[in-house]
Amino acid sequence: MKVNYYILRNGKLLRKENTVYFVFAKDESQPQPFSAEVDGEEVEVETENLSEKPEYERRILPIEQINSIFGIGRVSITSGVISFLAKQKIPVHFFGYYGHYESTLYPHESLLSGEMHIRQAAYYLDRMKRLKLARKFVEGAAKNILRNLEYYQNEGKNLNEEIITIKNHIANLDQYNDVSELMAIEGTIRNIYYGTFSKILKETFQFEGRTKHPPENPINAMISFGNSLLYGVTINAIYHTQLDQTISFLHEPSERRFSLSLDISEIFKPFLVDRTIFKLVNKDVITENDFVKELNGCLLNKSGKEKFVRDFDERLKTTIKHRELGRNVSYERLIYLECLKLCKEFLSLKPYEPFVIWW
Amino acid sequence: MYVIIVYDVSVERVSKVCNFLRCFLAWVQNSVFEGELTDSQFLRVESGLKEIIDENVDSVRIYILRTSDAVKIKTIGVEKAQLGTII
Repeated sequence: MKVNYYILRNGKLLRKENTVYFVFAKDESQPQPFSAEVDGEEVEVETENLSEKPEYERRILPIEQINSIFGIGRVSITSGVISFLAKQKIPVHFFGYYGHYESTLYPHESLLSGEMHIRQAAYYLDRMKRLKLARKFVEGAAKNILRNLEYYQNEGKNLNEEIITIKNHIANLDQYNDVSELMAIEGTIRNIYYGTFSKILKETFQFEGRTKHPPENPINAMISFGNSLLYGVTINAIYHTQLDQTISFLHEPSERRFSLSLDISEIFKPFLVDRTIFKLVNKDVITENDFVKELNGCLLNKSGKEKFVRDFDERLKTTIKHRELGRNVSYERLIYLECLKLCKEFLSLKPYEPFVIWW
Repeated sequence: MYVIIVYDVSVERVSKVCNFLRCFLAWVQNSVFEGELTDSQFLRVESGLKEIIDENVDSVRIYILRTSDAVKIKTIGVEKAQLGTII
């Protein structure tokens, strides 16, 4: 099984001996490890033999085992590695300073299908069909939220009121006849859900509603970071299907972004991101020291990011026996299967039913 | 399958074998690699190694285990392996 690599350090990806090397300075405090000043001019350090120099460390990533690379630290790439990764069909996701998703080095599409493309677009253009799919995405997200709440209800938290309200919202989804209304109701459900965080989480962390750009407190910082990671993971899954990344249904497709991933990741957020947060906070894995407070926001620092990524990745690799397939699949694979269900819907083979945690 | 590959090859071919195996598996110490492989990857590793080594002189041993759960690994002394996907 191929794995995702998460690079938290600052460094450079190189192509060497037909595989990928990640080279980084042993001493992190060096601001720019790959350039030096010679006669007052900035010169690039020769990268060819960098990995042999004593002040640098290297990690060798076996090319055959890489599913994708998440560049969370400041990762530089060389032209050699760009073409090599493109050939091997490995996407590289980049994240910004605030932990937000920034961009993807996207290998050329290899699974092209004109028919699928047209059918996916036709679903977007047909108002009723688009509405139906958008409703399914909201329903899937809401049901997974419900499952989280029910879990904590069983753990002895009093969430009865919120559960009933969300159930009512789900039952009434059919009456909305506009995608923007569905977006609004999705937001309402999420607000109710975020309202319960203060009951679910330990008191050490305060959470008063969702804030972004930048997140204002530790919980928001984790939600933002987790959602960005999930966004990248979903792009990977879609890349391995014939679906078009840019045509979405619940979110408005817009220029220069992979919006289908936003739709699909909506379903998986409660299950993959929020549960990671609950676990990290309630088991005291993450503490105040894992965040940096800045003038107008709060961010995960390096140790915080590492803890988060570690648990998130473990979760992705966890397997569960799939009812229909009758074999074990990893949670990451479930996202891919979700894309296949969408394909079947577009080809009118099987109506799409969103993933809901069944265990 | 989970494999452990140990090789004892002539000096002029050591780095060739090492570089080849680096594309598939994790280096754990001198002349030892290990990791998870699919069936097709295994065949490629096998045929690739056959091309590099001189089968009259060199020796490569491959320990094949069904899954990584089937093996328990204990290190005494320095852990030289660079495992883990979080860097």
